[in-house]
Order: sequence, then structure tokens, then C-alpha cells
Amino acid sequence: MSRFFRQAGDSDSESESSSEEELMSSEDETPKPAAPAGKPAMSRFLRGAGDSDSSDDSESESEDESEMSEDEDDKGKKKSRFLRTEDDEESSDEEEGKRVVKSAKDKRLEEMEAAGKMMDNALKINDWVAISNEFDKLYRMVQRQQNVSEPIPPFFIRTLASLESSLNAAVSKEKEAKKKMNASNARALTAMKQKVKKVIKEFETEVKKYQEDPEAFERDYTAAVTVEAPSAPKAKKGKKAEEGEEDAEDFTTVGKGGKTVLYTPETIFKNLQAIQEARGKKNTDRSEQIRVLEKLLEVSVTSYQRIRVLLALISSRFDYNSSVATHMPIDLWIAAQKEIDQLVGIITEDTRYSIQETTEDYDELAERSPETETSDTVRIRGSIISFVDRLDDEFTKSLQNIDPHGTEYVDRLKDEKSLYCTICRAQALYEKTKQDDPLGRVVMRRLEHIYSKPDTVVQALESAVAVSDLKPSILLSESATKDLIHRLCVHLYKSGNSLLRTRAMLCHIYHYALHNDFHTARDMLLMSHLQESIHSADVATQILYNRTIVQLGLSAFRCGLIKESQAILQDIFATQRVKELLAQGVHTQRYQVLTPEQEKAERQRQLPFHMHINTELLEAAFLVSSMLVEIPLLASIDSEEQKRKTISKSFRRLLDFADRQVFTGPPESTRDHIMQASRALQDGQWEKCRDLIQSIKIWSLMPEATSVKEMLAKRIQEEGLRTYLFTYAPHYSTLSLSLLSRTFSLPLRAVTSIVSKMIWSEELSASLDQQTDVVVFHRIEMSRSQQLAQVLADKVNALVEQNEKTLDQKLGNVTSWNDRQDGAKGDKREQTAERRRGGEKRGGVRGGARGGRGARFAQGLGNQMANAQRSR
Amino acid sequence: MAEYDLTQTIVPFLDRHLVFPLLAHLVDNELFPAEQVQAAQYQLAKGTNMVDYAVSLFEQLHPDEEIPAEFQGKRENAVHTNERLQQEAQAVLNVIEIPEVAQALRQDKNQNLAYLKEHYGVTLEQINALYNFGQFQYTYGNYSGAADYLYHFRVLSTDPDLTVSAHWGKLACDILTGKWDTALEELNTLREAVDSRAPSHSAFSTTSASDPALAQLHSRTWLLHWSLFVYFNHPQGRTLLLETFLAPAYLSTIQTSSPWVLRYLATAAVLSRKASAVPGSAVSTRVRHSIREVVKVIQMEEYQYQDPITAFLKELYVDFDFEAAQRELGKAEVAVANDFFLAQFKDEFLENARYLISEAYCRIHQRIDIGELSDRLNLSHDEGEKWIVNLIRETRMGADAKIDLGKNVIEINRPPLPIYQSVIEKTRGLAFRTQALGAAMARTAQPQAEVQADSPK
Repeated sequence: MSRFFRQAGDSDSESESSSEEELMSSEDETPKPAAPAGKPAMSRFLRGAGDSDSSDDSESESEDESEMSEDEDDKGKKKSRFLRTEDDEESSDEEEGKRVVKSAKDKRLEEMEAAGKMMDNALKINDWVAISNEFDKLYRMVQRQQNVSEPIPPFFIRTLASLESSLNAAVSKEKEAKKKMNASNARALTAMKQKVKKVIKEFETEVKKYQEDPEAFERDYTAAVTVEAPSAPKAKKGKKAEEGEEDAEDFTTVGKGGKTVLYTPETIFKNLQAIQEARGKKNTDRSEQIRVLEKLLEVSVTSYQRIRVLLALISSRFDYNSSVATHMPIDLWIAAQKEIDQLVGIITEDTRYSIQETTEDYDELAERSPETETSDTVRIRGSIISFVDRLDDEFTKSLQNIDPHGTEYVDRLKDEKSLYCTICRAQALYEKTKQDDPLGRVVMRRLEHIYSKPDTVVQALESAVAVSDLKPSILLSESATKDLIHRLCVHLYKSGNSLLRTRAMLCHIYHYALHNDFHTARDMLLMSHLQESIHSADVATQILYNRTIVQLGLSAFRCGLIKESQAILQDIFATQRVKELLAQGVHTQRYQVLTPEQEKAERQRQLPFHMHINTELLEAAFLVSSMLVEIPLLASIDSEEQKRKTISKSFRRLLDFADRQVFTGPPESTRDHIMQASRALQDGQWEKCRDLIQSIKIWSLMPEATSVKEMLAKRIQEEGLRTYLFTYAPHYSTLSLSLLSRTFSLPLRAVTSIVSKMIWSEELSASLDQQTDVVVFHRIEMSRSQQLAQVLADKVNALVEQNEKTLDQKLGNVTSWNDRQDGAKGDKREQTAERRRGGEKRGGVRGGARGGRGARFAQGLGNQMANAQRSR
Repeated sequence: MAEYDLTQTIVPFLDRHLVFPLLAHLVDNELFPAEQVQAAQYQLAKGTNMVDYAVSLFEQLHPDEEIPAEFQGKRENAVHTNERLQQEAQAVLNVIEIPEVAQALRQDKNQNLAYLKEHYGVTLEQINALYNFGQFQYTYGNYSGAADYLYHFRVLSTDPDLTVSAHWGKLACDILTGKWDTALEELNTLREAVDSRAPSHSAFSTTSASDPALAQLHSRTWLLHWSLFVYFNHPQGRTLLLETFLAPAYLSTIQTSSPWVLRYLATAAVLSRKASAVPGSAVSTRVRHSIREVVKVIQMEEYQYQDPITAFLKELYVDFDFEAAQRELGKAEVAVANDFFLAQFKDEFLENARYLISEAYCRIHQRIDIGELSDRLNLSHDEGEKWIVNLIRETRMGADAKIDLGKNVIEINRPPLPIYQSVIEKTRGLAFRTQALGAAMARTAQPQAEVQADSPK
């Protein structure tokens, strides 16, 4: 077999063949002795039990026997049943487990050496990609070695040292070399450099020791190994007390479910260690582990024990589901949530214990209490904040995966209350211990749960917190959610973390916008200058930014600030990717197909359904405000050229499309309604327009639907009047104000005001006659030649302007030699932007491209906002 | 009309001593009960070293009670400190007053210091004594003396913080002594000092109190309030106010931290109408279009701040509701009359506001009823007619507007601009611009030619 592979491999490139060959040989070595032995065993046991194992089996049997005999002493009748189940359960486990165990140490060493050899080979041909791969493999092995607390083989240190020197040589050579390496190779080289630097730092002392005296180092190692070696076999036949531990080391599984009796307070730490070592290994039965830990929790007595067990239990619950795509089972989630609560409770009750991410080393097996410690507090390694983060993430993930229209989703949402409580409890804990960094994170989590919710929901969440025994310092006071959000945000503004600050700011703005406080929200957004830097933020923050902007637009709409609303929403609708930008749906692209990974990443970003901003409502708001802005504008311009200046392209496109249709039936969708309303408005039928707009069903989703409808009716009247004046001015010489006021059922004063405004801003060439109360239109009919003269004058003007601009550019370049650097930088940035766009089209680096797109939206919006402000 | 009184909002942004005139004004216009204002004056004076003044206020306030003993101690203390500081400062002053020294002093402050130290043994501490003495004089109300000392200190000192502080002190002194010309100079230099502090560009670091951007915002806000004293007293003040306040940096300061300053901005814009209406006067475009700018800002900040004056402009130029504008003007009249800064401009304000109304009215209307227009201007019929005649005579409307006394109307006949004129209007200046283009090209061609000529050598 190996021969065959070797031959096949030879035709391949050298490095590859060698890798395969090594792989094969290293794998082959273990099965070989097992296989021949297996066959006779098979036949022998064929008729007997289903067990199909060979020498391993006999060994295990003998062991079982010894175990049994010991069990007999402890337990009376049950033993036999235990024995059997154990046998059945373990047979398969042991088969694999043992095989690894047999030569585990040697095999690892061999593997390492093989990898080292390959690296040497690859070094010769300067193939850094291969080296990088092999190094990763090697490093992983060494880490595994460390996990089982074996000494680091000198071989690894040797490789490391030599690698460093050859790396340095390669880098210097690369600098001089005329012909550059290809891109992937060069990238691998730099990556290697960093990796090696990192690893060397990690093993600093060893490397130094090795460099000082390589031989002594190796001697040390062999000494360490030989000391350990004899201890291993001895342990095997050793006493029962040691068995649990030894088993863990050798079998790497904790399948001995029958040993429940062993879980006494004394052995907790040993069991814990066993489980920790098994963590993340292939054959670990996770549910079994959880069961064991639960039992351990029951028997644990001291706080220290409980903390330790809880830490392990929670993390193993989170480990239960290894795949990223699916969510954690809900019962497990609830259990984890309870346990985190418990953990926080213990820590807050007894301040002498504290959980920290970094602590000095301590003996995992010893019981510790405040009395045994040098300082007053017992520091235990672990991180509550990461548990809380994970819990929250899992909650979101489960919501993403549950069908939002089913009852299950609603049931799941009910868990948010307890989750919110947990977060608040954690906040209280961190406030007490004065840990600023995790406190900031936990406050952010809390903020993210409430910022987009209406008052009543926030109050419900807060009331749950109010009854819990642990309360954070910031609480809802007198049902003013604004105040609560404000205080949470202020807390985050004061923290040093700029990402949290940005997010807090956006949440704050969002909340203001949600509560129709448009001006405050707008001022905050403009003052934050976020629109300038948002393109460099991470995708989640960009999504939050987009949500905030959209909410701001909606709030402007609700406040009756039609122009602002139109300007704000314009940009996001121009992209035609509203859903994608708001992370409420995966965009389906017409000309390209997403790779599964991209789609998966996209799906992970999605917001859970209850956080969505209704896109149909959004579209209705945008189109209606576009209608109110655009229709009078359309009416006011009469020449073709001016028509090109559009405010809202997307609206104009829809309108053109609607115009082209021969037959129009009764309106069905929101768009139909708005398009027909626009037609009616153009014709001066404001009542029809109003009825059509008001009959749009989606308005009911707006909190203040009736007041919004009233506002819209008023706007339609006014804009109808303006449109009417623009459209029909050429056909009248005078128009009575009272007639206008009757036609549009507006008060006379409002009509006068609107007409005056139009006259003042020179939109309408007319004047008012106060005695007869009429509008007098002054329309000058231009003759053909006059018209042409006008056009000519305009064109000449444009020509001169163009000339000036061109010259400016040229002169600008010549004179601003000093600015050249900046200019070059700008160019480069543009180029990268171009590349990004290109990448997007090719469907290449989607993450980056997304960022770029979001940025453009964001930036454009910033400008728009400024313009909107200026134009008012 | 107490609701439109801004004293309370402004006071936090003023120096203790600058508040005295404001309070004195409040006593005069009797908006608030006299005792309350006096109590406020007393509280204010208590914190200064003007012991005698405080005592007299106390006596006014509580005629029957005995003067607290603390004043006596305070008074002695003040006199004592005064003597001590004066002695310290005198040393430097003696040196400076020697004519040779005055001649020897140069622009370079470090050099000056070295010179003084070398020849006369003046140390840095002694110079700081000037500052301390000046500040002390200020606290007991000797403003002109304080101004002198602070001036000398500023010439000599190199400490940037103290210099800025001395700037503020000098400005306050000049304001309180009523030297508006020097105050204006002082204000301008101070503004430069404030503006030249490089603003920080980090968008996210605006949280800490020591942040330079925040500090700049604070000092700009203060500057805005202090400058009101100068701008509403200096003859050129209103146009200068518009120049300053409409500069982007200060406009955004108004919008962010002190929207009530809009009242003064709006008033100044109305007042400056005359100045900008005179053709050929050298006012910047910013001032000429000030009303348009101000209206925009007022509209934007409407949700934050509103008073009769801003409402007047808004009704007139945003809603074109002349009736409402008239109503607001009536209220604004009172508000202006009661305002400390604006009181002296009441008539001028009214006249200009009327002009603005009639201008807008005439532009929109073709035939105007004189009676109605007089109503709009808050004038009686006869007065209105007189006013209108004056208006027609004064402005360029003369050719277009005619009064028909029989029907009691003004007829405004503004013929639309003939086509040829608009074409001329459009093309005017094109030739000049083209020439400028050519000149610019020649200018750039020259250096290049020179370079080429040089290079062969």
C-alpha cells in the first residue's frame, strides 16, 4: 500500500509527494501490527460476543476483571449489570482509544519529526506555503503535547531555532533578489515570520536554554521522559484511587458511566481535570461529560468546588454544539443560563472568590479557600463575561434559526427576559468588583437588548430585573426609558473602548429616532462625525449604522419633515439592497452565485426577526415623501434638459414605468397605491391622491398612524396646490385666491402664504393683487430667437466655467507640488476602492466589498444630511 | 415680558463682574421684583473684593440688621493683600518705566526676559506678580488699573496659559471701563488666540474634560457672550458681529451650545439692513446676505430656541404670514426694549423691521392697500402713508411704485426683465473672465519657460 502511494506520489511535485508519503507511512505504522493480530481474533470471537477486538480486547478484559473484582467489594448486586453495560459501551471506544494510546508518545514524536523533515525539504526549494502548513501542524502537535503535560521535545525547539535563522536569511535574500517570489509564497513567508516570532516568544525560556547548551537540553528531556515512562505501566496495575486519573490520561475518554459512586467531594478536582483534558477531543461524548459534571455539581460542597465545577459545566454546555451554523439546544441554553446566574450569585455572595481571565498558576487538584491563599481572595481562571457573551450570541443564533412565524419563536422570545436578567446580574457583579472592561461589554449587551424596543417591552424587561436579588446601579426610573438608555450610553461613552463608544452612540441615536426626537438624534449623529469613519468599522457596526440612519429617516417622516426624510432614505434606496444593508435578508444577485461560505457568513449576520425594521413600511415612507418632493418639481420644470435633474431616481423610474402602462387596474400593492396617487397629484386631484395614500394598509404598523395620515393629507393639499400652480400657470392670467382656497380646502391664509413663498423664491413669476385678491401671472412668451439667445447665453456661460475648471485643475496640479503626496494617497485610496468594487463584481472578497458598499452609502448619506441642513 | 428675558441664560457664561451691569439694567426695567434683583446683586458682590459695595448692598437689603462681621475682616485682608501685591509689582513697573528699557524691548519675548534679567534682575516671579496684582485690582473693581497691569504682564510673559487668562482679564476690564475701541482690539486678538488652538480631529475622543476640542468650544461660547458687550456698543459693532457670528466655527458654536445667541444675531442682521442696502459700501457678502443665512439657522434651531425676534423673521421669510409677523414684531419691540444689549437699538430695530416687511410686501404684491400695509407695520394710517412715501423715495422702487390716493392703494408695476437684458446680464463678465483665464495661463507658462531656459545651462 505504502509502496503504491510512493510511486504515485513521485510523479507529483516533490514537496507534495513527501507530505503524502509521510502521512501514509506514519499512519500505516500503527495499523500494521494491529491488522494481522486482528484477524485470528475475529475468528476466535466470531461466535462469541459481538466484540471484534484483538489483543486490545484481551487487555481490556483483564482490566475489566480487575475492576470488577474491586467493584464487588464496594457494591453488592449491581456490579454484574454494570459490568455488562460497561463492556458493551466501551468496546468500540476502547478499540480506538487504545490504539492511539499504545504508541501515542512515540507516534507523536515521529509525526513531529516527519513534519520537521518536510519543512527542511520545503526550505530547500523555498516553498514557504508548504513550510507554513507543516509548521502549523507541528505547532498543533506540540500544543497537544503540552496539554497532556508532557515536556516539549527538544526536537521542536531545535526546529524552531533553525527555522528562525533560515527565515531571516530568506527575508534578506528576498529583499535583494531581482525576481520576486510569487504572491502566495511571499504572503506565506511573511505569515511564517510572524508565526515563528509568536511561537518563539511563547517558548522563550526553552529556546534560550537550548541555544546555550543544546546537548544539556536534550539530556534533560530524555531524563524527564524516562522518569515518566516507568510510572505509566505501574499506574496501570495501580490502585483504584489512581485509576480515574490514569484512565483519563490513557484512554482520553470518560466513558465510565458506571463509576458514579466515585464522585465524592474529594475526587471532584481529579474528575474535573479528566474532563478538561478530554475537552475538544474527537471521541469525547459531550452529553456524557455534561451528565458527569452535573453530578459533580450535586456533590460539590465548598464554594470553590462549586465555582470550579460550574465553570467547567457551562463551558461544556457551550461546547455541546460544535457546528457554527446550528444553534444550541434550548434546554441546554436554559440550563446554562441558570448556571451562569448561579455562578454570578456565588461570586457576589462571597467576595473572597474572584474569577479572572489571567491568574498565576495554581494546583488544579488542590482544594483552595481564602485561608490557604497568600492574598485574601482566591483567584480562579475563567471568564464570566465570555459566558454572557456566548449566551447572548446563542440566543440570537437560535432566533435566527427558528421560523419567525411559528409559536416556537414567540416562546423563545420569552426567554429574553431571563437572559436580560442574567446580563443585569453580571453587570451588578462587575460594578461590585470594579472591572471596567467587562463591565463595558456587559452594559453594551444590555443596551443592545433594549435600544430598539418600544417602551412597554423595556419596562417589562426592567421589571424582571427589579425583582431579582442582584441589581445593577443603572435601573429604569419612573418608566422613562430614554433616561435609562441615556445613562447606559453615558456609561459607555466614558469607557475607553472606542468600538463600544461608537455602538453606544448609534444605539442612543436610534433610540432617540424611535421616540420621534428627530432633532436630537440628527444633532447627535452630525456631532459624532460617524459618517466619516463608519466605512472603517466592522460589518456589525455598519449594519447598526444603517439601521440607525433608516430609523432616523422614519422618524423624520413621522414628524412631518418630508424633505429630510426623503434625503435620508434616498441613499439606501438608491442601492436597491435595502434588505441586505439592514441585515434582514440575503440579497439574491442576478449575475453571480454566492459560495456556501459567503452565504453562511451572510446568514450569521442576519438580525433576528423581531429586530427587523419593516421594509415595506420603509419603502412606503420613502416613496410617499419622494412623491411629495418630486411631483411639484416635475411640474415646475418645462424644458427637457432640466428634467434630467432628478432628486430621486428610483421614484422617477417607478413613475415612468407606471406611465407607460396602458391599462391600470385598481391598486393592489403599496407601490401601486403610491404611483396612482402620484398621477392624481399631477392632475391636481388631491382628494383622490389623499384617499389612495391613506388607504395604504402598511401605515397601521406605524405607532401614530392616524396623526401621520393627517399630516400626509395636509402635505398633499399643499403640494397639490403647488403642483396645480406650476402646471396651470401658463393657462391663466389671474387666479382668485379664494377659489384656490376652496379647491384645495386650505385656509385663505395658508394659500396666500404658499403663493407668496413661491413668488418670493422666484419659482413662480406672478404677484398678488390685494384689492381683488387674485394672483396675477406674468408670463412672458419668448419668441423662438429669444429662446435660442437664452440657450446660447447659457451655453457660453457653461463653456467659460468649464474652461476655468480645467485651468484650475491644471494650475492646481502645478502649484500644489507640496500637496502631491496627499493627492497620491487619495489616488491610492481610490484605487483600492476600485479594486473593492471589482472584487464585488467578481464575487471575490465579499466581506471587504460589503464594507466598501456600506461605506459609500454611509458617506453619501453624510453629505446628504449636510446638504439637507444647508438647504433648509 | 419676563419670559423673554435672557439674563439668566447668559449669566453662567459671563464673568462675575460683567454681570453687574446686567443686573443694574434689570433694576431699571423692573421686570423682576426689586428685592430679588438686589439680593442677587448682593450675592454677586459678596464673592468679590468690593467690600464696600457689598456692605452698601447689604444695608439696602436688610436695613434693620447689623452688618456681618466677616466684612470687616475681609476688608482688612483685602487692603493688606493689595499693599503686598503692589509692592511686588512695583519693582517690575519701575524697571519698565525707565525709558531705555522701553526702547530696548523687542518683539522676541524670550530675549526681553533675558535682557531684563541681565540688566535689572527682573525674574519671572516678579513678572507674574504683575499678573497677580492686576487680577487683584480687578476683583475690587479698579478695572483701568487692572487693565494696565495685565497689559504689561502680557508684553513680558511667556507663559501661554497665563497670557490667555490675562487676555480675558484685559477684555473684561476694557468692557467695564467702556473703552470699546481697545476692547474690540482685545477681542480680536483673543479670538485669534482661541481659534489658533489646533482643534483635535479625533471624532471619538470628545468625552474627556481636558479635551482640546471641548475646551475650544467652551472658550468660543464665552467669547460669544463677552463679545456682545463690545459689538452692541462699538459703532461698527453690528456688522462685525455678523462677520464673526456667521463664520462657520462660531455659527456651529451657537447651534451646539448657545442657541439663545440667535436673538442677537437676528437683531444684528435686521439692524445691518441699512448698511448693506447702501450700494458700494464695503461689506462682505456674508453681511449682505446675513438675513437669508440667519433665517436658515433660525429655522433649523426652531426646536431649540424661539423668541419674538426670531419668530418675526421666521414668519416673514419662511411662512410669509404678514399678520403673524406683525404680531411678533409687536412682541419683539418689547423684548428688544427690555434686553440689556439691545435696548438702545429699539427704534432702529423697529424701523428696519418695518422696512423688511414692506420690502417683502412690495415684492410679492402688485397692488397694495395703504391701510392694510400700515396695519402690517403697526402704524396709523397717516403715519403709514408718510412712511410709504419715504420708503418709495429712499429706495430704488421709485420708478415702479405709484400711490393712487383716490383708491388709496400703491400700484407696483415691475415690468419683467426684457429678454435681451437677461441675456446681457448673463454674458456680462464673460469677456473679463476669459481674459483672466488667459492671464493665468501666461503666468504659468512663464515660470515653465524660465525653467526650460535655465535647465540647459
